[in-house]
Amino acid sequence: MTAYNNSALRELVQPDRVHRDFYINPEVFDMEMERIFGRIWLFVGHASQVPNNGDYITTTVARQPVIMSRDRKGEVHVMFNRCTHRGSQVCLEQSGNTQRFECPYHAWVFNTDGRFAGAPYPKGYEDGFLAKEKLDLVKLPRMEIYRGFVFVSLSTDVPDIDVFLGPMKDHIDAFCDRSPEGEVEACAGVFRYRYSGNWKLQMENQTDVYHIMFTHVSTTDEDGKQFRREGAEEDEAGKVKVLAQDSRLDDQWEEHPLGGHRHGHVYMGRFAMDKKNSGPIYDRYKASMEDAYGDKAEDLMTVKTHNSIFYPHWSIQHLTQHIRVMNPISVDCTENIIIPLKLKGAPEEMWHAALRSNNNSHSPSGMVMSDDMEVWVRCHEGLKTQSTDWVVLARGMNENFTGDNTGSYESHGTSESGARNQQVAWVDYMCGEG
Amino acid sequence: MLADIEKYLYREVRLLDERRFEEWTDLYTEDGYYWVPAYPNQDDPYKAVSIFFDDREVMRTRLSRLDHPNVHAQKPASRTVHVVSNIEIDENHNVDGEVLVHSTLQMMEYRLDNQTSYGGRAQHLLLKTNDGFMLKWKRVDLINCDSSFGPLAVPF
Ligand code: FES
Ligand SMILES: [Fe+2]
Repeated sequence: MTAYNNSALRELVQPDRVHRDFYINPEVFDMEMERIFGRIWLFVGHASQVPNNGDYITTTVARQPVIMSRDRKGEVHVMFNRCTHRGSQVCLEQSGNTQRFECPYHAWVFNTDGRFAGAPYPKGYEDGFLAKEKLDLVKLPRMEIYRGFVFVSLSTDVPDIDVFLGPMKDHIDAFCDRSPEGEVEACAGVFRYRYSGNWKLQMENQTDVYHIMFTHVSTTDEDGKQFRREGAEEDEAGKVKVLAQDSRLDDQWEEHPLGGHRHGHVYMGRFAMDKKNSGPIYDRYKASMEDAYGDKAEDLMTVKTHNSIFYPHWSIQHLTQHIRVMNPISVDCTENIIIPLKLKGAPEEMWHAALRSNNNSHSPSGMVMSDDMEVWVRCHEGLKTQSTDWVVLARGMNENFTGDNTGSYESHGTSESGARNQQVAWVDYMCGEG
Repeated sequence: MLADIEKYLYREVRLLDERRFEEWTDLYTEDGYYWVPAYPNQDDPYKAVSIFFDDREVMRTRLSRLDHPNVHAQKPASRTVHVVSNIEIDENHNVDGEVLVHSTLQMMEYRLDNQTSYGGRAQHLLLKTNDGFMLKWKRVDLINCDSSFGPLAVPF
C-alpha cells in the first residue's frame, strides 16, 4: 500500500518549494517509473548509431535493457533485450553488427527485426506450438522516429508524439538544420558516467543559470573568464582553438533568456558570452549553408538556444553538440549517456573541434561535468538530513512566470522557473493528469 | 637504458601522485599529448570520443583547475597511487632519437570513503634529449574504457 495518494503527492510540490521526499524517497521513485517513465515518450538513441543493416546497440530505457537494431531491410526496431524462452538477455555487446541474435542459454535465434527464427530440437514441442506461440522478441509498445531521434514508450496509451513534443519539435529542427544536409550523425560513440543522486537533481540543474559562476568557478582564470564551451575559434592559419577564451562567466546572466512549455519541457536561450564564430573554416561552412538554404542560411546557422531539456530524461546541448540522456537507475543513482553529434556536410574541422570540446567538458573527466556531479551527490546526501523538509526554489517567483503546465512561458536570468515548470508537470503526471 | 626508462616512468607517475601537475605537464614536448581513448583498439582520436585527449593547452587548463581553491569535484582531493610494471621497450620502433615503451599501469584512487581501482596498458613515446627524455605522447588503454564511470580528475 502506498503512502502517496494524489493529495499527498500534491503536497510534495508547493509553488516555491518541494519536499525532500520528492528527491530521496524510494517509493516516490518507483511511482515515477510507473507513472512518468511508464506513460510518456522516452528517448532511446539516434538512428545514426545503427547506420548499416544488421547494426545494433544495447542500452536501457527506464531501467529495462533494450536493443535498438536496423534490420536487413533498413528498418529500425527497438525491442526488449529478453529471450522469449526463459528470459535471458540475448545480447550484451554495447554495439555491433549481426545477422541474428542468438540466445546463449538454449540457442533460440531471432532476426534483427526481432522475429523468432528457430529453436534447436523443435520436435520437443507439441506440433505447431512454436508456430502459434508468440515468440518474437517483444517490441516496445510504441516507437516513433523524428529526424533520426528515436522515441519509444512503455505503454501504448501515450499522447501523439507531436502533441507531447509540442513546440520542442522546433528545437530538434533547429539543431538538425545547422547541418548543410539537414542531418546530424552520432558517429563517435558515447560517454557513460553515473552519479549517486536522484535524476531530477540533474534535470533541474540543466535549466539552472544561477549555479554556473559558482559551481564552475574553477574553470575560469583569474579574470573570471571561462574557455569557450563551444569549440571553434580559428587562428589566422585556420586552426581551431579548442579552448579559446570567452567572456567572464558572470557577464549578463540576469538578461539570459529561459523558457518552457507544457509537459515539463524547458530550455535556456543562447549564452550572451557565446561569441559568433569567424575564420576561414567558418566561411566554408557558411558557403555550404548558403548553397543549401539560400537566404535562410544566416538564420539557421545562428544558435538560439544553449540547451533544450525534454521531459523527463534527455536534452539537446546545442552549443556543445551532444544529446544527453539521464537514465534513472535507482532513487539515488543516475546514469548519463552523452552522444556527440556531427553536423553532416559541415567542415570536418568543426566536427573535430566539437568532439574535442565534448572530451574536455562532458567526458567522465570533463572539467564542467565533474563539478556538476559533485554538487548533485552533495544535494542528495544533504537532503537525507532531517534538518528541514523543504527545498526552496523561489528565485524569480516575482516575475511573470506562468508555468502551470497549461501553456508556454518565458523567463530570464537566474530564475528557478525551469525547475518549477518541471515540477508542476511532475505533479500532473504523477496524479494521472499529464 | 631500461633502467633509465624505468626511472623516468616511475617519476612521471609519482608527479601525479604528489599532485605536482605543472611539473607533469612540463614533461611533454610542446606538441605532446596525453590520450585515454573511450573505446578499445582506437587508431585515431578524431574517430571516437576520448576520456582524455589533451594537448599541452588543455593539460594546462585542466591541471591548473585542480589547483583552484574551489575545484569542488576535488574538495577534498583524491589520493592516488600509480603502479607501473611490465615495462618493455618496443623492438620494432626504429625511429632515431625515439623510444616507444609499453607497460601496464594501475591507479588506485581514494576519495570520501571510496576506493576505486583502474588498470590498463600504457604506451609512452619518449624523445631522447641531452639530459634524459621528453614525452611526446602517453596513451593509456584502460580495460574498462567504455564502462560507466564516476567523475575522474587525476590523469592515469
Ligand atoms: S532462455 Fe533463451 S533460449 Fe532458453
Ligand atoms: Fe553545471
